Amino acid sequence: MTIAKKIARRDVLKGMGGTIATMAGAVAMPAIAQNAPVKIGILASRAGTAAYIGENGLRAAEWTASRINATGGIGGRKVELVVEEETNARETLERARRLVLQEKVDCIQGVYSTGVSLPMAPTLEDMQALTIFWDGTTQDGVKETMPSPRYVFKSTDNECEAVMASLLVAKHLKGKFKRIAAVSPDYTYGRNVWTAFKALNKKFGIEAEVVAEQWSSFTQLDFTSNVAALKAAKPDLIFCVLGNADLPIFMRAATSAGLTDTARFVLVQAGHQHGQLKKPFTPEGTLLCYNTMYFARPDPSTIQKEFVEYYMDRFKDYPHWECERAYFSMMTYKAGVEKALAAKGGRWPGTDEVASSMEGIEIESFGGPARMRKDHVAEEVFYGGFASHDNSYDVCTLANSYSFEASVLQKPSGADFWKWLETANFPV
Amino acid sequence: MKNILLIGLFVATVLCSPFVVSPYYATLVITMFGYSIALMGLNLLFGYGGLLSLGHAMFMAIGAYTVGVLGSKMGINSFEVHLLAAASVSGLIAAVLGALCARYTTIYFSMLTLAFGMIFHSFLFKFYNLTGGETGISVARPSLFGHAFSEISKTRFLTGPFYWYSLVLFLVLFALMALIVKSPFGQALRAARDNPQKTEFLGVPVLRVRYVAFVVSAVYCAIGGAILAVSIGAADPELAFWTQSGNIVFILVLGGLGQLFGPLVGSATFALLQDFLMANTQYWRFAFGALLAIIIVVAPRGVVGLLARGFGGRR
Amino acid sequence: MAFANVLFAAIFSAAVLFLVTAGLQLVFGVQRIVNLTAGSVYALGAYFGASAFDWVVVRGGSPLLLLPVLAIAGLLAGQIGFVIERVLRLVYERDEAFQLLMTFAFVLMLQDFLRAIWGAQPRIMGDLPDVYGALGIGEFRFPVYNAVVILCSLSIGLLLWWFVEGTRLGHIVRATAENKAMSEAMGVDTKKVTTLIFVLGSVLGTVGGALVIPTTAASLEMPSALIVEAFAVVVIGGLGSMRGALFGAVIVGGMRAIALSYFPEMEIMAIYLVVVAVLFARPYGLFGKAVS
Repeated sequence: MTIAKKIARRDVLKGMGGTIATMAGAVAMPAIAQNAPVKIGILASRAGTAAYIGENGLRAAEWTASRINATGGIGGRKVELVVEEETNARETLERARRLVLQEKVDCIQGVYSTGVSLPMAPTLEDMQALTIFWDGTTQDGVKETMPSPRYVFKSTDNECEAVMASLLVAKHLKGKFKRIAAVSPDYTYGRNVWTAFKALNKKFGIEAEVVAEQWSSFTQLDFTSNVAALKAAKPDLIFCVLGNADLPIFMRAATSAGLTDTARFVLVQAGHQHGQLKKPFTPEGTLLCYNTMYFARPDPSTIQKEFVEYYMDRFKDYPHWECERAYFSMMTYKAGVEKALAAKGGRWPGTDEVASSMEGIEIESFGGPARMRKDHVAEEVFYGGFASHDNSYDVCTLANSYSFEASVLQKPSGADFWKWLETANFPV
Repeated sequence: MKNILLIGLFVATVLCSPFVVSPYYATLVITMFGYSIALMGLNLLFGYGGLLSLGHAMFMAIGAYTVGVLGSKMGINSFEVHLLAAASVSGLIAAVLGALCARYTTIYFSMLTLAFGMIFHSFLFKFYNLTGGETGISVARPSLFGHAFSEISKTRFLTGPFYWYSLVLFLVLFALMALIVKSPFGQALRAARDNPQKTEFLGVPVLRVRYVAFVVSAVYCAIGGAILAVSIGAADPELAFWTQSGNIVFILVLGGLGQLFGPLVGSATFALLQDFLMANTQYWRFAFGALLAIIIVVAPRGVVGLLARGFGGRR
Repeated sequence: MAFANVLFAAIFSAAVLFLVTAGLQLVFGVQRIVNLTAGSVYALGAYFGASAFDWVVVRGGSPLLLLPVLAIAGLLAGQIGFVIERVLRLVYERDEAFQLLMTFAFVLMLQDFLRAIWGAQPRIMGDLPDVYGALGIGEFRFPVYNAVVILCSLSIGLLLWWFVEGTRLGHIVRATAENKAMSEAMGVDTKKVTTLIFVLGSVLGTVGGALVIPTTAASLEMPSALIVEAFAVVVIGGLGSMRGALFGAVIVGGMRAIALSYFPEMEIMAIYLVVVAVLFARPYGLFGKAVS
């Protein structure tokens, strides 16, 4: 059912645009012809510890694209996906360059890792490639690399999860813990959210002593030593930022060693791996952060219901928030193009015009109403809560599902993240 | 002479490229220049010197990161400054490491260089305030001889001013390497590779010769890395992982180990092959592995060797 | 008591590392080849072990069969050594660098081989293989399975030692390592010896991977990551020396576990700095000999 295009043979020489029109002898024209498809380049992780995440996003992108095509496409033109692999910044940039120069895609969507999106952004902007990142932008990082982008659109800031986790901890667990520990991959996002958590604890008057910090590497898949170190430190609460294949492995090691009996776990990126977090090693009461999509939320929107049913039926697995990000990106792009198209009286808009139209756009995403701010940062609804085993799945659901608007969790445009943390009024 | 004809043909091809091939392939040619320069260095050390380094990717990373740190973090945009800094930093580090490694024999040399490469790799992660950690550094385009060219898009910058710049740099460095290889130093290096004891006995300071080769190779790798960083637009820690070092050795062997045109032919073959393979299969690593195995067994002088045999001339 | 947890984790790390590097040392000791595929076969053992166990359980086998199933899976997977050795034989007469590069070619090929069969995602084994339960005194608690792995590793080490020192075949192997030409002159079929050694080395790697899979995950990054650690072990311990593998594994595995608890910042670099320090003091590792 995939409609992602198999990459065809390359055309080496200039002037052999590669379109069927050229082969038929017609003058080569850029793909503005009404019957030519809208090409969207997708950058998704296909291998390694993040493969599960990229796969989710890709599946959702394909579903969304089929759905769009079934209802007439974007402005009457069908959508065609060109998929490339996301690995590290450098290689992904090479592939993005191929997508732009060779495949001549109209838009690039994808990328989940902060380590890839941040270095890629300035070059994509320089290439004037319209890009919508699914994920991977941090509030602290972006202010250095992308001050005011025209072509690059960023996902909702990832520290939102940490802010949500901190708010939930402050509201429901205040007074119940004294010793905290962190376990996270050693990267900017991990360091940032841990610092944010400690800052927010202080802000809400929670006195907690940091007894251990475990910084792992991304390729690390053996956590016996880390778990042993954490056990030795005897924390009451463990703030865990792992979000790739390492998360379920860590939870199993922690359960084997008895760590889950003595400490409550806060899983900041639980949503990404919740399909792998099976009940035997994810105890009830664990704080699970589902980011922008909770597959089993009470009162789901129609579109979420439709998608979740499709996904669980087709893949026998649970969709997570990367699906929502892919859906949001695709629909935002569609809305932007159609808005610009209408403004131009039916003539196809250029990249600049699409980009400007996308600013301020609002759509209904899986998790609820969502919008793209004028400063190119997305705003969506976040979900989280405490784990419960009371369901018919082999994974946890939430005993109570809490939701937060991004405007609550995300710093406003132009503000400094750390200063905003100090001064903002949070609903606790 | 055949050499001059080949050089002429090559120069003619690359001079025409930006006008004839699509922008995407023109940017691939820049990638080719970058790798060729780096591989010329590696060729000196491994091809002519016989020392297999499994850590030389670190010097390419040094080149890339120098451009990134100077440009993005310190706001120094002149590519000439970048190149000078990359060469100096790389040369300095190689001067220290070379003193430690050069006295070891082949296998230990390979293992030591692998170890040092990995030390550098973890250094890139640990000192994230300087290097950006796992994110790496975004590399903005530098100014060439003072001109920023900010009015043209990145692609036009790459297929225009930067293309010519890299081409000239490549030709200069190639000529320099040709001179080095043909010089008495180059001969001593090769003699030391073929028979170290005899060479030592003849009065050649084998250790010192190898040491110099090590440092020169590091400088070349850094310059190559700098060009690649500008072309791609980012530097990240995986540049220094040991499998990257293995990969550049593979490209060199593919082109022709110990052959003057090996680096160039290898880079060109690799750039086109990788582009083709990655577009058509996800098992391109297998293809490269198989290719490397075949080359080692059947064509140890690489594509250059095959071409030479094909033209029925030299051994 | 809490320190006991850390110590246990250290010993476990060391035990696993020893298995893999023992294979490396064996191959180098006899054939003078640094076998970069050691990491790849380790990953192969892990993937194959996971699949084998799932296969057994699906057919109604008891989860208690975990250990024997993994051990057998490891032994079976190690047979790939025959294939690799056969190809490697084509470059036995060549420069060491080319032999090393040939093993690197296999690293590339094996990675995609693993990807083709098992897919690109890391592979975890089942739900919670705590099938043998856990033991503990107070805060010191450990899964029995991990203890069993440590015992296995020790046993294998002892078996290897007995083989090399105590058996006739072992003597032949050592003789071939010392002087191949002489052995051949004495009527030894050195081809068979090298094949045996290489396959044995591969088996050690695959068994190590298979035994370890319940506690971790198999991934495509495993091979290259493991080589880095294995190299630290053999450089510290000395190429070609079994004792070196043991001491090196204890130092590297132990250091990593302890560093994680007490000096987390230094963890990765600490190992390499020790490598460099050891090399300054003993240029060929603790138990290595100069290679001519």
